[in-house]
Amino acid sequence: MNNNKQSAIKRLLGTRGMGAVLTAFGGLVIIYIAFGIIDQNVFSGQNVMNLLRSMSKYLLIGVGQSYLLITGNIDLSIGSMVGMSAMISATMMTRGISPAVAMMVALICCLCCGVVNGILVGKFKLPPFIATLGTMFVTRGAAYMVNNNRNTDAIATGIGKEAGDSFQNFFYYGKTFGIFNTFWIALVLFLVFFFLLSKTRTGRHIYAIGSNVDAAKLSGVNVVTTTIKAYLVSSVCACVVGLILCAQAGMGNMEAGNMYEMYGVAAGVIGGISPLGGTGLLLGTFAGAAVWQTLENGLNMIGAQVGIQRLVIGIIVVFSVLLDVVIRSGNFGKKSK
Amino acid sequence: MGEIIVSMQNIVKNFPGVKALDNVNFELRSGEVMALLGENGAGKSTLMKILSGVYTKDSGTMSIFGKNYENLTPRQAQEVGVAIIHQELNMCRHLTVTENMFLGRERVNGVLLKNSEMEAEAAEILSELKIDLDPRQIVGDLPVSKQQMVEIAKALSIHAKILIMDEPTSSLTAKEIEDLFRIIRKLKADGCGIVYISHRLEELQAIVDRVTIMRDGQYITNGDFTSMSMDQIIANMVGREIKEQFPRVSCPKGKKIFEVKNLNAGRLVRDINFSLYEGEIVGFAGLMGAGRTETTRAIFGVDPKTSGQIFLDDKEVHIQCPMDAIKAGIVLAPEDRKKDGLCTKLSIRHNLALPNLDLLCNAMGVISSSKEDQLCAEAVENLLIKTPSVEVNAANLSGGNQQKVVVGKWLARNSRVVIFDEPTRGIDVGAKVEIYNLMNKLKQQGIAVMFVSSEMPEVLGIADRVIVMCDGRITGQVMARETTQNEVLKYATDFEKKQQAV
Repeated sequence: MNNNKQSAIKRLLGTRGMGAVLTAFGGLVIIYIAFGIIDQNVFSGQNVMNLLRSMSKYLLIGVGQSYLLITGNIDLSIGSMVGMSAMISATMMTRGISPAVAMMVALICCLCCGVVNGILVGKFKLPPFIATLGTMFVTRGAAYMVNNNRNTDAIATGIGKEAGDSFQNFFYYGKTFGIFNTFWIALVLFLVFFFLLSKTRTGRHIYAIGSNVDAAKLSGVNVVTTTIKAYLVSSVCACVVGLILCAQAGMGNMEAGNMYEMYGVAAGVIGGISPLGGTGLLLGTFAGAAVWQTLENGLNMIGAQVGIQRLVIGIIVVFSVLLDVVIRSGNFGKKSK
Repeated sequence: MGEIIVSMQNIVKNFPGVKALDNVNFELRSGEVMALLGENGAGKSTLMKILSGVYTKDSGTMSIFGKNYENLTPRQAQEVGVAIIHQELNMCRHLTVTENMFLGRERVNGVLLKNSEMEAEAAEILSELKIDLDPRQIVGDLPVSKQQMVEIAKALSIHAKILIMDEPTSSLTAKEIEDLFRIIRKLKADGCGIVYISHRLEELQAIVDRVTIMRDGQYITNGDFTSMSMDQIIANMVGREIKEQFPRVSCPKGKKIFEVKNLNAGRLVRDINFSLYEGEIVGFAGLMGAGRTETTRAIFGVDPKTSGQIFLDDKEVHIQCPMDAIKAGIVLAPEDRKKDGLCTKLSIRHNLALPNLDLLCNAMGVISSSKEDQLCAEAVENLLIKTPSVEVNAANLSGGNQQKVVVGKWLARNSRVVIFDEPTRGIDVGAKVEIYNLMNKLKQQGIAVMFVSSEMPEVLGIADRVIVMCDGRITGQVMARETTQNEVLKYATDFEKKQQAV
């Protein structure tokens, strides 16, 4: 039995991409402890809670973007879909429509964008960078148009203070078992998508088309539907993050989610997901999102300016990929053939 | 046994600007191996892609097991039992052996993948085929020959009734080819129909029952293999008589041009010593993985050397990177045309000009288009590159013409040493002879030619002197005219005795 257990652990550690995940988690621990030494407050329960909540958004965005990176594509429209989701749900709630309906409408709109992205890239073979650049502008435009180019009023003005509070608590301010709901929501979605990617046929096909789209097609994999599914995952993630931002502000902000698509790329890449497709584990994205938020949180705690924060994160992204490249070339020798 | 399982009549397929198939007929019976022969561009692969659902035909009828199919999809083809092993390896490099074998038809338990069941079955198929592989290994980490075996195992795992093999042996070793033939004979006995496409005519007699010959998109003839002579087959494929399969020209051996002393670079290049003389072609023979390609790469400066000296015209040259080699006059036509030899998305013109930009540019770095035109015109004329214009993308040429472009890149410079690594792999008989003639021409011009090839007949037929490598070392050196395949093979399998564990 012991033997069995050992081989299971060995197998888990031997999973492709696990090295990068472990490196990212190792980096996370080092960064966290380093900031903790500078400022004890980093270790405080209150800060840990805040950290978990603030990393949730990046985790979700990262998961969505990772799906696309693994297929060898990218989704630049994620940030704009976040804004659209926030604006649609907020606008409807200020007009007195119930949060449940507002959320459904926001979700449907995001799913439509996902389908469009998937068809443009999967069926019409547009370069994903261009296709989603287009939908990025279109959805941001839609976010502006929803409420006539203005941010919305407080959602409580429409659905009333009680319903407004409960919406805000559900997505942002409330806690369950002592931890902010935001984190639980992100964790549940993370687990669902983790399962989908690693244990199901769809997940296997997502890796396959990222690795070699022609081979996948010739093996009978439906590349179009698989691509659409991947874009649907990112649109679901974007929609939920939009709802979280709406709940956090208690209103809709037209610029909500700006640049988030790139944060998603960064989280994935720090966690060892190759932007060339075919490899990467969602656990890595988890580590990547955590590294990022720990950095931002730590730099904040020690009083660093936003400029410094951005600069450090940029260096970390490049450094983590560089590290991966160096480790790999060290391990496998000069296998340039 | 022996009933017709595939019948294709009057198949037509057009691609933009080309009629790829023009009224082609093809028949396959159960329990037979049918060789589909023809030069590159004859339409063999296109025809088989129609049979396996990759392409749809424009007109004609196709029936498989008596049922007519109009628009066959790859998945439908799989379901009726058509499996194809493509010429270009079609593997997902990042996935494991098992994952590749079951790609597109994963076993699921509701939504969960049944990984252990698939792994067990993959292991079973692999052991049945006597392929020594761990089903959990990542395909990208395997050597090409093993990847090829995975591809074959994958095709067999769907219990194919009709198996199409497009150049399956091009990257296999002699032993692996023997294994493959054993598998083919077993499938044949089980009643499968097998379509076998290969340019290596000499291997056909081991397995083939009937042949179908195509040329320029048209059906030429078919018949029993035993009732046709090799010359007849070649004449039908090429449409003209080929006088000599291995044209050899003799010229006097001149002075020493090039010498490699004690070259070491990793495990596959150990203590290499040899020299090349004016007026001779030196063949490098050996098994797959003997270190020949690695040796060429170390000489050319692609891979770092650990030690060794290289002399050109008795002067030592220091090669740290390919540019050093090119400047010194040592050039390499690499093994994998599409990966290392050409920028396939660029035109022939840009490919030919790429290594010669230093000659084509003026002092300001502006490319002179008239010089470029001249270079391209000369290359097309001297090498007989068949193309409507030099603006065509290199990817659109046939294998033989691509190889000519790879060679043409180097001929504009006054190179002293030309290294050919497997220049005839995957190209047809006619184009092979043109490549041989080209090497002969270089030899006559006093250029040292180093010719790496895994095909023994051509090494013995074209080279003057043969150096044999095994496991990273030079194990023998023979004169081509005085040796036999057996002698070369003996050297090629001259492995070092494994040291006894103490």
